[in-house]
Amino acid sequence: MATDGEVTAGLYKDTLLAGLWRENPVFRLLLGMCPTLAVTAAVKPALTMGCCVIFVLVCSNIVVSLMRNLLRPHLRILMFTLTIATFVTIADLFLKAFQPEMSAALGPYVPLIIVNCIIICRAEACASKNALAISIIDAVGMGAGFTLTLCALAGVRELLATGKLFGASVMPDWFVPWAAMGMPVGAFVTLGLMLGLVNTITGKKD
Amino acid sequence: MDKVKYFFQQSWLLIVASFCFGLLIAVANAGWQGRILQNEEDKFNNLVVEMIPDANTSEVALENVEVESGKGKTRATSIRKALSADGQCVGWAFTCEGSGFADKIKLVLTVDAGFEKLKGYGVLSSNETPGFGDKIKDQFYRNQFVDAPTTELVLMKLGAPDVKDAEIVAISGATVSSEAVVTIVNTFLGQIKSHMQEKGQIGNGN
Repeated sequence: MATDGEVTAGLYKDTLLAGLWRENPVFRLLLGMCPTLAVTAAVKPALTMGCCVIFVLVCSNIVVSLMRNLLRPHLRILMFTLTIATFVTIADLFLKAFQPEMSAALGPYVPLIIVNCIIICRAEACASKNALAISIIDAVGMGAGFTLTLCALAGVRELLATGKLFGASVMPDWFVPWAAMGMPVGAFVTLGLMLGLVNTITGKKD
Repeated sequence: MDKVKYFFQQSWLLIVASFCFGLLIAVANAGWQGRILQNEEDKFNNLVVEMIPDANTSEVALENVEVESGKGKTRATSIRKALSADGQCVGWAFTCEGSGFADKIKLVLTVDAGFEKLKGYGVLSSNETPGFGDKIKDQFYRNQFVDAPTTELVLMKLGAPDVKDAEIVAISGATVSSEAVVTIVNTFLGQIKSHMQEKGQIGNGN
């Protein structure tokens, strides 16, 4: 029979892995589509966006989890938004100070993390109902799942659009760059194909 | 009295959280503001050197020049003199800003030493729509301002973008952003030219 410690460890592991695959925010829950489509033309901005989302998700889940017993039901969304906006502003200031090129490349999409459904969804579904540890693990799992998805999409698009990865040439000389993959149409096509692939793998077809 | 008590019972957490979050943002802003300003200064200098290749350095010629930007608002800007390696004035540069389609657009505008022709503009910050309004950063649009006269510029829907005159051909699909740039340039250029003539920094054109 499993001990309490083993049950807890299993729950933590399950929560962490849920965000990576079973409840992946992009492929399974279809959340955060705006940055998924907008910042995946290259891996570097996609990775930066992913790191910002992890930071905001972890911080907002910590704060929401700590004040979950004090939240008034009719004010909870307002509190979530206030919390998320604070950490997004800090992330935006950090990028402007230490990564000005990435800040310029991401433009309005960093402030737009405030309205990213993944973060408010995890605050409502997990952090406002669970203890601190599980909220942090959930945030890390969901954030990592979102970041990996963004990087996978961006990797395919950057490779096909420019023949490069992280700005370095990796394709042979005969490769002809497919410029459309760097444009919005490339984002929709790549996302659609990846969603189809994930649905095929999981055997869950509509 | 009961209403006041009820108000605080319901919203004390919101008030406390707002104060704490505000403080957090203020601390982050105070800590990183210097670095953010330095990054902007570096970007300004890089853009000036890009538009005036002869420029080696720049120095402040006039500080806090107030420009009426419409609707009773005034904006202050500093005019910098671009100097060549041998100390000769090779142009002038200043920041200017105004409303764009989505947010404020902040530009660096450069003119030649005689204030007769534009050397071009560079975008310091803008949040225009990716793929449309953000084409104000593209060479197609920026090149039209190079060697244009420092008179009132006019935005045209059709025309010859290669001809160096006061007619600027709008970006297809981004008329509002195109117009915003022309309006910003016209607003600042005329007033700053008059100001510099008054101060004797340039000739009066007679």
